[in-house]
Amino acid sequence: MALTGTARRAARPSGWAVAAVVVALLLVAPLLALPASFIGEGDAFGQISGTLLPDALRTSIWLALGVGVGTLALGGGLALLVSFYDFPGRRVLDWALVLPLALPGYVLVFVVLGQFGTATPFQSTLFGDGLRIPGIRTTTGAVVILTAVLYPYVYVLGRSAFLGQSRRTLEAARSLGLSYGQSVRRVAFPLARPALAGGVALAVMEALADFGTVDLLGVQALTSAIYRVWNGAFDEAAALQLATVLLTFTFVLLAAERLLRGRRRYDQLLGEGDAIAPKPLRGWKRWLAASGGWVLLAVVFVLPVVQLAAWSLETIADGTVAPSLGKAAWNTAVLAGITAVVAVAVGTLLVFGGRAARSRAARGTTRLSTLGYAIPGAVVAVAVYVPLVWIDRRIISGADSVSGSRVGLFFTGSILGLIIAYLVRFNALSFLAIDSRMSRIDPHLDDAARALGADRARVLADVHLPLLKPGILAGGMLVLVEVMKELPATALLRPLGHDTLAITVWEATKDSRLAAAALPALLIVLVGLLPVILLVKLLRSEGWSSAAEHL
Amino acid sequence: MLAGLIRRRWPLPVLALLLVLVIAGVAVAMSSSDDDTLVVYNGRSHYGDETVFENFTEKTGIELTLRGGTGPELFERLKREGTDTPADVLVTTDLANLWRAENAGLLTETTSPKLEANVPEAIRDPGSQWWPLTVRLRVPVVSTKRVPEGAITGYEDLGDPKWKGRTCLRTSNSEYNQSLVADFLAKRGPEETEALLQSWMDNDPKIFNSDGELLGAMAEGDCDVGLINHYYLARALDEDPDFPVAPAWPDQDGAGAHANVSGAGVVSTSDKKAQARKLLEYLTTRAAQVEIVKGGEFPVNEQVSAEDSAALWQTVKIDPIAVEQAGPLIPDAIALMLDLGWR
Repeated sequence: MALTGTARRAARPSGWAVAAVVVALLLVAPLLALPASFIGEGDAFGQISGTLLPDALRTSIWLALGVGVGTLALGGGLALLVSFYDFPGRRVLDWALVLPLALPGYVLVFVVLGQFGTATPFQSTLFGDGLRIPGIRTTTGAVVILTAVLYPYVYVLGRSAFLGQSRRTLEAARSLGLSYGQSVRRVAFPLARPALAGGVALAVMEALADFGTVDLLGVQALTSAIYRVWNGAFDEAAALQLATVLLTFTFVLLAAERLLRGRRRYDQLLGEGDAIAPKPLRGWKRWLAASGGWVLLAVVFVLPVVQLAAWSLETIADGTVAPSLGKAAWNTAVLAGITAVVAVAVGTLLVFGGRAARSRAARGTTRLSTLGYAIPGAVVAVAVYVPLVWIDRRIISGADSVSGSRVGLFFTGSILGLIIAYLVRFNALSFLAIDSRMSRIDPHLDDAARALGADRARVLADVHLPLLKPGILAGGMLVLVEVMKELPATALLRPLGHDTLAITVWEATKDSRLAAAALPALLIVLVGLLPVILLVKLLRSEGWSSAAEHL
Repeated sequence: MLAGLIRRRWPLPVLALLLVLVIAGVAVAMSSSDDDTLVVYNGRSHYGDETVFENFTEKTGIELTLRGGTGPELFERLKREGTDTPADVLVTTDLANLWRAENAGLLTETTSPKLEANVPEAIRDPGSQWWPLTVRLRVPVVSTKRVPEGAITGYEDLGDPKWKGRTCLRTSNSEYNQSLVADFLAKRGPEETEALLQSWMDNDPKIFNSDGELLGAMAEGDCDVGLINHYYLARALDEDPDFPVAPAWPDQDGAGAHANVSGAGVVSTSDKKAQARKLLEYLTTRAAQVEIVKGGEFPVNEQVSAEDSAALWQTVKIDPIAVEQAGPLIPDAIALMLDLGWR
């Protein structure tokens, strides 16, 4: 970074930078404090380490491996197919394959379990007496469901890597005597390895963080074990310790991905018209490719959504829509709305403070605040709860000694605690969206404004904010949608009576009250489609490589 | 708007404080609308009991705020909130949850002649910290298509090797199972109980999250025998008289079918104890009980006649849970189940 006028002006650090560093530290402190739960609390861990932990750990490892392999095969394979071969429907499939991103795993589980229709008055509309999927309530079942909703991560990153490859590389390989298929397999595929690994890492992290899918399928992974210990016969310390185990697991994974990828980058400079032209498939292969892609999309996305819509219409027609639905929708909107506004404000502060900061350490700290995004919601919830309830108790005893009045639990008794948990978890989304805009603003612009007498606040208000607007909007929307879909932290921290749409779907599916889950699930998917549609639009307008960075 | 504020050189701390105040205000406003009402933590919120509570308000003028959740969830919530809880009454399912609440000191002794008249002594809490509202049986059920009548006559039969791979159980995380096993421990002793559970586990049961799911899977043919709370089957049969699952009443020549309770107690920190007691009294009256047992459970008030409730299976011989002994054995029950690999 070039020395700017601000940097040369020595003396005390900018207030903005200080504020940003303090906020960033507040956001990561609860997570970094998690390992402290092992100090002096050996007993509880002894109890779970003999019973719950080995099973949960094994399940989580299988989930990670299974989803890793599954998404690599499915997402990577599809990216390869769409990039290097031409077949009927390829143009639409190209972007439509991204759509399952809008489907949370627990919604897909609800649709699948809903096919066991006979126990309820709620018969499957599409499959008559019910489509049965044996073995769905197993780790393998969870792997299948999660692979179906998470493969787009690998697909998008793989596709953008393939599109970034030059035709000349393939031609060189062919001139050395390889067939088209061989050169795709032996040259193009390995070149995309870093991108594919990145996609797989994202998918595996989502799988480890997943709570709804495994819980509803009765599979005991680390996340569901945390929930069970938190709301069960064990204690808080044990839940915190389990959370630490899961956190360690996530970090090992992140480190492994970094190590494996190393410094390898295979960027190729593309000239005009240099991109790979997919080879048309002939004969039966052509139809196999087309039907394979479309059948997959139908099974993992189109049919579930149609089924949800059919069920929702049925419940509306029968008048069996749960009366609490309106309240759940309102709660969801309030939580998501407030969190999005706060996240955007915090994100702007962090990004601007980081820019104003002179030290590398300060900038690094603001970036550290994105850590929560890699961490499962169940972990964030238990990590955030402990300090908040401590503050709550202080407030209560303080109010009692000052005025003798009785006040409620300020954070943990209201939605504030939940909003803070969301912020820790999803702040990365708004931060990165705003940061990517900010990095495109030339620092000389700041210098010019300041040379003309504007102070930092004025620079932010008059120069940056107008330019940051698209990033702020995008970040806000991403946070909004993620909060709406969020399940584990909401399940653990929501004040009683503040059920969200996601909670409604989860609880109703758990109790086999399927009619009550249909409409909220459909709402979640429809709202969840918004950012996916935006991503698809970006893919088509800006090209895959730049759009994939938004993932 | 924000840009304008920043431009007008409002200092950053003031802006930050404003934002925080606005958010805190909204959040607190949304959460505390219950100061004047009787707050009920209702673990029976999925049982369709709302009418009963509405009737209570209509009759007494006492406004209620119902907060729903599962039994364990509500217990944890109450425990964490401690003396700061807004709750006045805890309504929850299963002895395990009632006992945990009592044991943690969350409830307070409540009694009155009306309550004593409404509830028979056999199923009362000796400490009067909670009062039962309904009775529910946890019993084996069989597929009518694949299992002949009389094949199962006791809890032991679920461990018969001929059902290997054909049994369905709910997770050991369920209080219903925890109470059942604690009651076994109390009545049969640890060795017999362990042998019994071991025989169940030897059959490689499929494990479900809820009784409803389990029934659905049985109807679909995933297993031949299972263990559920009876009212789930009553509801399924109510919706579909041809539902292919039937109860197999256990130990009818012996002790009878394991009977558990749901119940309610007054929260020890409540400052509306008199109103809370009124709610408990109302919930055990004949009128309220008739409404409550519409979901297929059995009433506790003996004035409710068979015709009143129209509940199925009222003549089944039952073995009420050992209220005093089973509660303290629940931690042992959980440990035993986990030890034997009951997920």
